[in-house]
Amino acid sequence: MKIINCPLNGPRNISEFTYGGEFKPMPDPGTCSDAEWADYVFNSENRAGVVREWWMHTPSSYWFLAERHTVSDEIIRTFDARELFSSRLDFHPPQSREIAG
Amino acid sequence: MNSSNRLPAPMGLLIDRDQPLDFSFDGKSYQGFKGDSIASALLANGRFLLSRSFKYHRPRGPLTMAGQDANSLVQLPREPNVLADAHPLEAGLEVQGQNFNGSLDNDRDAYLGKFSKFMPVGFYYRSFYKPKGMWKVWEPIIRKKAGLGVLDLTFQPEYYDKAYLFTDLAVIGAGPAGLQAALAAANCGAQVLLIEQQPVLGGALAYARFDIAGNRAENLRRELLDAVLGHANIRVLSNATCNAWFTDNYLPVIQGKRMYKVRARQCLVCSGSFDQPVIFRNNDLPGVMLCSAAQRLMKLYAVKPGQRAVVLTGNDDGYYTALDLHDQGVEVAALVDLRNSADPALSRALEQRKIPHLTGSTVYEALHEKGMRHVNGVEVRTISGQGQGQVSDSGLRLDCDLLCMSAGYMPVYQLLCQAGGKLAYDDQKAEFNLSGLPANLAVAGSANGRHGLDNVLADGANAGLDAARALGLDVGAERASYARETPVNFDWPIFPHPKGKDFVDFDEDLQVRDIINATKIGYRDVQLVKRYSTVGMGPSQGRHSALPTARLVAASTQRNISETGVTTARPPFVAEKLAHVAGRAFDPYRQTPMHRRHLEAGAKMMPAGIWQRPAFYGKAEDRERCMQEEARHVRTKVGLIDVSTLGGLDIRGPDAAELLNRMYTFAFLKQPVGRSRYALMTNEQGAVIDDGVCARFAEEHFYVTATTSGVDRIYQQMLKWNAQWRLDVDIANVTAALCAVNVAGPDSRKVLEKLCPDLDLSAEGFPYLAVRQGTVAGIKARLLRVGFVGELGYEIHVPARHGLALWDALVSAGQVHDIRPFGVETQRLLRLEKGHVIISQDTDGMTHPAEIDMGWAVSRTKPFFVGRRSLDILEAQPLKRKLVGFTLPKGSPQPLEGHLVLDGPDISGNVTSCEYSASLGRIIGLAYAGARQSEPGQQIPIRVEGAIVVMATVVKLPFFDPENLRQGL
Amino acid sequence: MPFNLLKYGLSAEYPVDVDLPPPRDLKPSYDVVIIGAGGHGLATAYYLSRYHGINNIAVLEKAYLGGGNTARNTAVIRSNYLTSEGVRFYAESVKLFQNLSNEFDFNIMYSERGQLTLAHTDATVRSFRQRAEVNKHFGGRTEMIDRQQIRELVPSLNLDPGHLPVIAGLWHIDGATARHDAVAWGYAKQAAKRGVEIHQLTEVQDLVIESGRIRAVKTNRGTVQCGCVVQAIAGHSSLLMAKAGIRSPIQTFPLQAMVTQPFKPFLDPLVSSSALHCYVQQTSRGEVVFGGGSDPYPLFNSRSTLDLKESLLAHAIEMFPFLANAKLMRQWAGITDMTPDYSPIMGLSPVENYYLDAGWGTWGFKATPICGKTMAELVASGGRVPELIKPFGLERFSTFQQVNEMGATAASH
Repeated sequence: MKIINCPLNGPRNISEFTYGGEFKPMPDPGTCSDAEWADYVFNSENRAGVVREWWMHTPSSYWFLAERHTVSDEIIRTFDARELFSSRLDFHPPQSREIAG
Repeated sequence: MNSSNRLPAPMGLLIDRDQPLDFSFDGKSYQGFKGDSIASALLANGRFLLSRSFKYHRPRGPLTMAGQDANSLVQLPREPNVLADAHPLEAGLEVQGQNFNGSLDNDRDAYLGKFSKFMPVGFYYRSFYKPKGMWKVWEPIIRKKAGLGVLDLTFQPEYYDKAYLFTDLAVIGAGPAGLQAALAAANCGAQVLLIEQQPVLGGALAYARFDIAGNRAENLRRELLDAVLGHANIRVLSNATCNAWFTDNYLPVIQGKRMYKVRARQCLVCSGSFDQPVIFRNNDLPGVMLCSAAQRLMKLYAVKPGQRAVVLTGNDDGYYTALDLHDQGVEVAALVDLRNSADPALSRALEQRKIPHLTGSTVYEALHEKGMRHVNGVEVRTISGQGQGQVSDSGLRLDCDLLCMSAGYMPVYQLLCQAGGKLAYDDQKAEFNLSGLPANLAVAGSANGRHGLDNVLADGANAGLDAARALGLDVGAERASYARETPVNFDWPIFPHPKGKDFVDFDEDLQVRDIINATKIGYRDVQLVKRYSTVGMGPSQGRHSALPTARLVAASTQRNISETGVTTARPPFVAEKLAHVAGRAFDPYRQTPMHRRHLEAGAKMMPAGIWQRPAFYGKAEDRERCMQEEARHVRTKVGLIDVSTLGGLDIRGPDAAELLNRMYTFAFLKQPVGRSRYALMTNEQGAVIDDGVCARFAEEHFYVTATTSGVDRIYQQMLKWNAQWRLDVDIANVTAALCAVNVAGPDSRKVLEKLCPDLDLSAEGFPYLAVRQGTVAGIKARLLRVGFVGELGYEIHVPARHGLALWDALVSAGQVHDIRPFGVETQRLLRLEKGHVIISQDTDGMTHPAEIDMGWAVSRTKPFFVGRRSLDILEAQPLKRKLVGFTLPKGSPQPLEGHLVLDGPDISGNVTSCEYSASLGRIIGLAYAGARQSEPGQQIPIRVEGAIVVMATVVKLPFFDPENLRQGL
Repeated sequence: MPFNLLKYGLSAEYPVDVDLPPPRDLKPSYDVVIIGAGGHGLATAYYLSRYHGINNIAVLEKAYLGGGNTARNTAVIRSNYLTSEGVRFYAESVKLFQNLSNEFDFNIMYSERGQLTLAHTDATVRSFRQRAEVNKHFGGRTEMIDRQQIRELVPSLNLDPGHLPVIAGLWHIDGATARHDAVAWGYAKQAAKRGVEIHQLTEVQDLVIESGRIRAVKTNRGTVQCGCVVQAIAGHSSLLMAKAGIRSPIQTFPLQAMVTQPFKPFLDPLVSSSALHCYVQQTSRGEVVFGGGSDPYPLFNSRSTLDLKESLLAHAIEMFPFLANAKLMRQWAGITDMTPDYSPIMGLSPVENYYLDAGWGTWGFKATPICGKTMAELVASGGRVPELIKPFGLERFSTFQQVNEMGATAASH
């Protein structure tokens, strides 16, 4: 059984983790086109090589990122999301028309 | 009970002559000793014919005596397909043969062997299907003929368990290499786990011979064992099979009724090699066995394998076997060496013992009497050297009742190839070798291509030191050096016979021609040969067929053997009982703190996710009546329901409202303290995935409920989003920390007033959709006024440890008001009467808010929420379907949930909820219907049981109390 | 009577009836290049050559014929899906399967055993009922059955595993199994007979696309011009699509399976439980095959794991307790191209004349014949998408028009 080196908890059996999907930067939902948005929602890189992806250590509910080779299954490194997200992210009011809800 | 085949001590390393055991085989009584395997005990009694082969029903006896072949699969009372040569003998064991019609000795299906010409490789693909439908006739017959043993369908699982082990170095195989490696590493300070499949350690040292004098093996074995067994750093697991290699050196080791899951920092495989058969006509007869099998019989079990033997060999080990046989009183009629010349010392040893010696020759055919039950002679021919497998036109007949053969060795490669090791064929040495192992995994000994005993020992020692070094330990010792190797593999031990029965795969009854013909038909890749011919797909999984198949396929397709290769090695190494893999059964489920009360009240429990909840309070067969009565009671008096399984999340901090704003569709920034709002959640695709109630208890404190089965996922999603948004908020999943009870009905206020001294429960003081914190029955509680069932009601949330007390207090206070519990099914009816949607019952994976009239719950003014952009896109498209309420008159055939709504010849939707409502005197339900069928007043056809179509009427929701007055009291 | 076999017994020399012609060189160009010699690619070649008179076709396979998921699937043939689009499609496939041995003169050992899916919760019963109704609507034979009927069908099944007793079943009489390899071989043999070239050990390494059209494919054995291309490579679909600049929603996950030693027959129907994430069937050879859910994270690797085996077999023993005493012989895995809605991707791509047969996840084998037939129609008509596969176009994701079959898959392929 594979071992993942969790940035918070150290090396643990993979059964303690939940896969969280490819790391996909979100386009600005306020300004992107429908096609760009659909691409973000549905499409994946699905590369045969090193990918960046989300993982969660299930018992501690800790989310982190990993870089893993999707053919050899080697985990190159794992790291805290703070490396990519260091400050508060804000959304701007939508440009599109507003419908009274 | 003829035991004259037993040899005197010191033969019989494994048996205890002081413990005789009685057993039976096919009804006949025999005696063996403790330590015997079933096969060795039978052979000691002269019984060699143990099974009939898969396709041709040929008589078979042991080939390896090591559990590596399927020739001796027998049936035990509760278990089929037992390896007789691996299963220990037990007192009173009743053993049966398998796969015969009549008796093992007289199998009526043996005629199939005569028709083998009509059953060429893959014959079943070329026939049995014409005319159309014929396969339906043939299949049951063929299915009955296929299969080996019979499964006992009444067998109940026994106790098997699992344990974890951690070690610095796992050494797999305690032969000379493994023992030496374990010592080398342990002496450097490594913690070593030594895993050995056999009951005794030593590997080939326990049964083989390495010198003419014949004592080196035992002396060396003793010496190594003394060092290993006493060593503080070495733990030995014997009778233990390492059955696979999994990522990061995770090793399942099966011993007795336990599977150890071993995690090793370093792993060293010293698994040895498989002695290989020679291929010639009738090489499968009882009495034809591998050289090592004969040695095992003699040394381990003290069984004389025959009276008069012929030894056929392609290496020096056959000579040692001949010497062993001679020493134990077996007349060796000849040693037939496939090679042209032999080691002079060995030749002399044969000469001294008057053993006839033939070189450059092979057994061309093993001979037998009618019935083929035992070999009774061989025909020996010289190898003509004119091509692969060519022999002279005539030969010499020798009588014998035992034929021992060894064509060479195949490394026990399975674990290593499972780990990614690659096999390459060395044309010079005519053997496969391994490379490309992952980090922290190594191989040593004969599995690593070392064959001379001193080289094996050196390899083990070096590997042990390497492992210690990799562990970061101090390694003082020098590397041992290697001597030149004598080749052990004869490069073409395959002698096809025009009449066939020259078996390449014993399990599948495949002859040389079958392999060749498969390639001629066009299946040239060895994987295709395997799939088309089934070579290697039987119980022994290619241990003896992989090497000859690679050679034959390479020759037939004009490629080299490395290119051809062998088929993929897959776990498990040895067939493993499901019981071992499954371990003990664990079946966790969750109960609320009030569980006992539900049972006492006669609840019919139902699973809700992993929880147990009361469906209603009554017997299963009274469902309808109980539901209607409970519902009436809630509408006219007061009821209570345990809703503890509901998800609960505490959201606190300056950005609490902002988080909710982004996670849910509604707006929360301006939600007043003391009020609740509907919390609808969509995923990024815009599909509705959960709902609940969001209560604001303070500026920076929200409490959100969620569905029972959705809450954990929602909690995880919130954390994942916030890992990116980095809002200043704490999110806690308090589902299990809190319990909740919903008290509902016109009299619910009266019940609660008795228990809440510090709360103003009046309509003005605690209006509909408000939330309060207060004390209920002395317990600190959160109260929410929600309208799910459409009656005046209060949802009371308390710490879980007070759940039972709360329930009891409510029941007690409510007694005078005739309070009754109601269950999940009743609640479903009540909410249906109000037209409320249940997520994942009335929504599917694609439902978006507009389809269920929840546009009102979607805020258009806030900057962002998960799924928002997708909703914009979806709502710009014409609506295809809508969830509508429908009614049918009482007495009409009632649609079941899942029945279809039609639009002409097409399916336009489906019924998601449907019940008879006594309150309304009608059948009511929710269903998806086509957008153009969804106006109130329209009729929608619903196809119910028996293909009857009823016309239901679309109505506005809610069905009951359309002004929603009752919940607002 | 198997008269066909007489010639083997009565001839002195083995009368070779060649299924697959020997390897040959690639021609410089073909009208149709099919990438992937799995069941789908070979079926497409067959229908093109047999029914559309098109045989200037090369099927290019990077490893050996049928060696991908066609070799590894657990051979469940059924049409008891949920959506109209899905059921209509798979029902056609089942019909074609029923005649397939006779269609291409090769015994695929088609065995209509019936497929039984167990419901342990009310929610499942609802969904099963809907599936039964949709199936019947399109002419399939599927019924809801109760505990007693289940007991009669599968007497050896344990109806009370743990705390999730079986409450009902979806009984799909059309459910069947077949020898999956033989399906590929049968299609290959007939296609080859009609002049289709099957090139094994031939890997497509790059695509030559000019002005939005595919012109040629570059392989390890040379470059080949092509009139059009059909891509049918399962798990690796997105990799080749990426070379064509085509974005896709595919994620590739391993799917594991395992098999016991052979036993005398004791189980006829194919039995599946979604609550237990496990399905069990006994092949004609007598082996018991187990399958379950996909691996939890993407990987282009067919390694086996202990974790999945443990949970799968634990559940299998809950369903059939006596299997505790059976022995597992082998584990393996396939590499599956999963889509967000568990429906395939068939039809056109943004590159003209580059046709897609992808996104087959864990549901591809059963669709082999109908896939070959419809893709052949697509190619032969020069790109007119047949009605039956219109719902499965790649563009459905950009317009949020998914065909959601998730409920009808999971642990029941």
